[in-house]
Amino acid sequence: MIGDSQRLLLRATGLTKTFSGDGVVLPAVRGVDLRVPQGEFVAITGPSGSGKSTLLHMLGGLERPTSGEIWLDGQRVDGLSQARWAVLRRRHIGFVFQFFNLVSNMTVADNVELAALMGGATRRQAQARRQELLAELDLAAKADAAPTRLSGGEQQRVALARAMANKPSLLLADEPTGNLDSASSSAVLRLLANAHASGQAILLVTHDSRVASAADRVISLFDGTVVDDVPMSVVHTPMPLPDVLRLRG
Amino acid sequence: MRAMARWIRADLRASAGRALAVAGVVAGVVTALLLSAALLQGTTNPWQGLFTASRGAHIWLHLAPSTPVRQLSSEVPGIDAIAGPYPATAATVLHGDQRTRVELRAMNTQLPAIGKPIVTSGRWLTGSQVHGVVLESTFAQAMHVSEGDMLVLQSVEETARLRVRVTGIAETSDQGFYPDQTPGLIWVLPGLLRQIEPIVGRTEEIVGLRIAEPAATDVVVQQVVTQLGSSAVGTVSTWQQVKQSMARRDPLLGLLLALFGLMSLGAAVLAIVNVTSGRVLIQNAELGMLKTLGFTPGQVMTMLTAEHAILTVGGVVVGLIAARLLTPVLLGRVPGVSPATAIVPSGWALLIMGATAAAALLATAVPAWQAGRVRPIAAVRAHPPGRHLSRLASTAMAARMPPAIVLGARAAFVRRLSAALTIVGLAIPMLMITIGLGFWSTLDDVQRNPADIGLAASLTVAPGSLPLPQAQRLLRTDPQVQAYYGCVRASALVPGQTTTITTLGMGTSARPYPFHVVEGRLYHAPEQAVATQALLDSLGLNVGQFVRMWFGGVPVTFHIVGRIIDPQYDGEVLAYGTDTLADEGAPAPVGFFSVVLRPGVSPQAAAAKLSRASAARLDVEQVVNPANQLGIVHVALASLIAVLSLIGLASLLTASLLGHRDHQRDLGVLRAMGLTPVQVRATLIVRTTVLALVAIVIGVSLGRMVSTTLVSAVSQLYGLGAGIGRPPALGTIGTAAVLALAAAALAGTLPARTALPAVAVLGP
Amino acid sequence: MHGYVTMKIRCCWPARQQASTGGRGYAMRMPLLALLAKEPAHGYELKSQLEQIFGEAYPTPNIGQIYVTLQRLERDGLVQSQDVVQATRPNKRVYELTGAGREALLSWIDRTSEGPRVRDDFFMKLVLSQMSGTSDRLGLINRQRRHYLGQMRSLTDLAAVTSSQIPRLLIEGAILHLQADLDWLQRCQEELV
Repeated sequence: MIGDSQRLLLRATGLTKTFSGDGVVLPAVRGVDLRVPQGEFVAITGPSGSGKSTLLHMLGGLERPTSGEIWLDGQRVDGLSQARWAVLRRRHIGFVFQFFNLVSNMTVADNVELAALMGGATRRQAQARRQELLAELDLAAKADAAPTRLSGGEQQRVALARAMANKPSLLLADEPTGNLDSASSSAVLRLLANAHASGQAILLVTHDSRVASAADRVISLFDGTVVDDVPMSVVHTPMPLPDVLRLRG
Repeated sequence: MRAMARWIRADLRASAGRALAVAGVVAGVVTALLLSAALLQGTTNPWQGLFTASRGAHIWLHLAPSTPVRQLSSEVPGIDAIAGPYPATAATVLHGDQRTRVELRAMNTQLPAIGKPIVTSGRWLTGSQVHGVVLESTFAQAMHVSEGDMLVLQSVEETARLRVRVTGIAETSDQGFYPDQTPGLIWVLPGLLRQIEPIVGRTEEIVGLRIAEPAATDVVVQQVVTQLGSSAVGTVSTWQQVKQSMARRDPLLGLLLALFGLMSLGAAVLAIVNVTSGRVLIQNAELGMLKTLGFTPGQVMTMLTAEHAILTVGGVVVGLIAARLLTPVLLGRVPGVSPATAIVPSGWALLIMGATAAAALLATAVPAWQAGRVRPIAAVRAHPPGRHLSRLASTAMAARMPPAIVLGARAAFVRRLSAALTIVGLAIPMLMITIGLGFWSTLDDVQRNPADIGLAASLTVAPGSLPLPQAQRLLRTDPQVQAYYGCVRASALVPGQTTTITTLGMGTSARPYPFHVVEGRLYHAPEQAVATQALLDSLGLNVGQFVRMWFGGVPVTFHIVGRIIDPQYDGEVLAYGTDTLADEGAPAPVGFFSVVLRPGVSPQAAAAKLSRASAARLDVEQVVNPANQLGIVHVALASLIAVLSLIGLASLLTASLLGHRDHQRDLGVLRAMGLTPVQVRATLIVRTTVLALVAIVIGVSLGRMVSTTLVSAVSQLYGLGAGIGRPPALGTIGTAAVLALAAAALAGTLPARTALPAVAVLGP
Repeated sequence: MHGYVTMKIRCCWPARQQASTGGRGYAMRMPLLALLAKEPAHGYELKSQLEQIFGEAYPTPNIGQIYVTLQRLERDGLVQSQDVVQATRPNKRVYELTGAGREALLSWIDRTSEGPRVRDDFFMKLVLSQMSGTSDRLGLINRQRRHYLGQMRSLTDLAAVTSSQIPRLLIEGAILHLQADLDWLQRCQEELV
């Protein structure tokens, strides 16, 4: 078991989050266990209100769990102060939100470079990293634009670049294709797949099953608890084209 | 129409803070301006009110006793009426441990028709109270004597001594305010005067002349002096002199207050522009929605302007009420200003209120137009422009400078126009505060170093009933005395002038009184003299020129070798060595000693000691530092600084709110990128503080540069001449700057104190 | 390639028409087995139960169709019938589930739904799960979801390697339908679990 946990990038046990205020008690996450080995791509699906986003925010240190443990790379992190979490996020975690991913008073390029700089890169390194990421995303032309001039899909792609600028060990994404059309979604998916292929561990929350199915594992969350944990290799078999037509019948 | 009213009401309720800020700024400015105007009125025109109320005399003559004046009205054309003659004599009054020289003037129980003193407290002289006296009001104020007090009157020779009771206080328009005009004036019954000074030869006759054409005063004076003979005429004073003397503070305060008033208005306009356009930016989406509901751009503009009109009117009314309430409180403390004369004429009041209201509404013009232009689909709120991380910023980040400082400082300047407006809106109040502090420190300096304005001596000692050698010996042997100078006060007639001027022989040419010479040099030889700017101006002279004047018939020619600053005698002083007069054979009447005390010695203590040592036969008076009378300026400055701070704060808060709103959207990302919550909050605080810092630096440096020049310009107008300006003390300015920065930082924290959202807000 | 696809499409259409169990109505075999799993019943009882459960969602088949299906089931050995003598009425035929029938029922439930009427098939399983004694609705849903996810993965992989436009569009269509099915699965989970 000990050896097992050291191979794990992320391990969470009994994560619970209950919101209470004004006499209303809202249990958002109820006793979730999670294991993410190094380099694995995990998708979390579930209806809205199932606690997906809350779970993700807890794993990124943006929300403090009511109870439970979180171990990141063998280090216990759930009780860390905000300051320590901030340092963790600078170097080890990349976070993509559904909205408001970019600092509004900075250009696209600077957003990405800022993240790199905070991660400890030098100016030159930050610049190189930015150029590399934006090129991969086909956004090199928009490097000098203000974030508000970009479409939603472009913004989300830049957000991904921003989140990966500091070469994090774990990429957390909350509905990265939530507001996107299918073309932008494909682009995002492609980027995620490439990152995954390079060994990036990804944990994302989505209700887009296309994205979910691209993961190594799909965890179904319902009403704050895990109801299913599907390793995709098990259920997936290659399908030839004729079968497609049979599907549609 | 109803819809607009509904929206206005809801909006006022929703953003009460901002509404209060706008109304508060307007109210503050109106109050400050009205108070200034009242003060101006009180100091500009006390003479006018008094003169009219007392049916004053245009010319007052101090004549030798028993000079016949009856025929003046028939022999000199233009004289309407004659007041007096009133016998008058010098005396000393004792009150507590104060000994003061006074002039006793005998008048009847029946108040005269011309030059009638206006009783403000108590009663006029009555036959039933033989030992009752009436004090002139500014004198009474300075002595802290009120109706009902007991005083001791003593003749100059100390031969007679009487206990008297103050039965009343009265104002008069026939002489200037004490202590500019010395000695103090006490009205007594003729019988009492004779008790003090039975010898008629030692009394003067005071006669007042009311003439038909005030403009022809000079002509009449010439004729009267000719008629009566110059040997009979002691001193002549005209209504213009009295008016000017009473209004002596006019240029200083008037200019000061007018200047501050104008700039307050400007700063207020800026503050309101800041607040309003900030609000338009913040409520962009809401205003856009109004358009969607069907309001036309014109209607949106109207609504915004109407809302502000309501706030402005409210502010003006509050300002008016506050000024009414504060005027008696503040102005009651000013010596020489009676709150009754300090009523702002309704024309001025309306002008002030109207100008402020107009300025406030003008300030909303551009923001209102901006609001009208907001597009209906303003779901995309007004974003800050996305700019490059400057090389400076990214180097700083790479150099591991605290990200809060880099990002905060950067964010401050992202919205160029807004940053500029905020900086200007803060720099102007800081500029004015610095100038105000400059005035303050000048006043403080004058108070602490009277030598700089020619008041090196703290005491004036007249021999009184002590023989001169004895007096000298006392002064010589007193350890508290550093030096003493024999002085004379001599009236001189200058050709072309209608009145006599009082000149001073101070020390000898070999050992002159230590005047503070700002131009040229002090007199070293007989017939050399120094003069103040005011005197030079009134005689039309410059340093280096010659002037001839007559001392009791003896002509003396002076060479003006230097310019000094001296506030006595309305700032018109000519000083020379006493040996000049002796050489020329001119009469050298009243002699006294100007005593310079050792540093650190309290004038009051030294005066008391000398008095005791001489068994109260020496006449010791403390020299009055006019700066001490300007306490009102401190009050005025303090309140102006308060108003300016309010105005500056309004700009600061708006900048902070706008920054916060821009900042809100970035909170999630910043936290995700690894800024701690403290750093995130600090970013906002740094943003506001950086703007304030720039504004403070600009305002303070400009203020320091301008302050000294301004004070010099004002004091030149005043007649003191250039040279007394002092820059604001570094310590005070430093404290003000630090306070302003602290206020900025605090303003930065206010919106940020709302709980940091732990998760990014979902959805626009 | 293009011609092959066209041919395939044409020959699928008639297949679709034959897919159902004949005439209007839904596939009744499994629902009837499920109902009989609870307790034996005769035709009219079965009809009224079907009406109760599905009446608002689907038009109820007539009694004749029910008897036809029951006879076919008996022929296949999944049910057996018995005549019950009634004193005042004509005899009624009571049907009950055989062992083979129970097995067929269970294997139907365990099997992930496929084919053109997949929704109906799965939905019926879900609805009837309580009566059939297998009340693991969540497991049912999970299994179906896993199946869909697998298909989704396959489709996306296929789309990635397909270069021509028409087949890609076809795949896209299938993906979108799959997404819809998954979403519906989620709704079922929310409502029925």
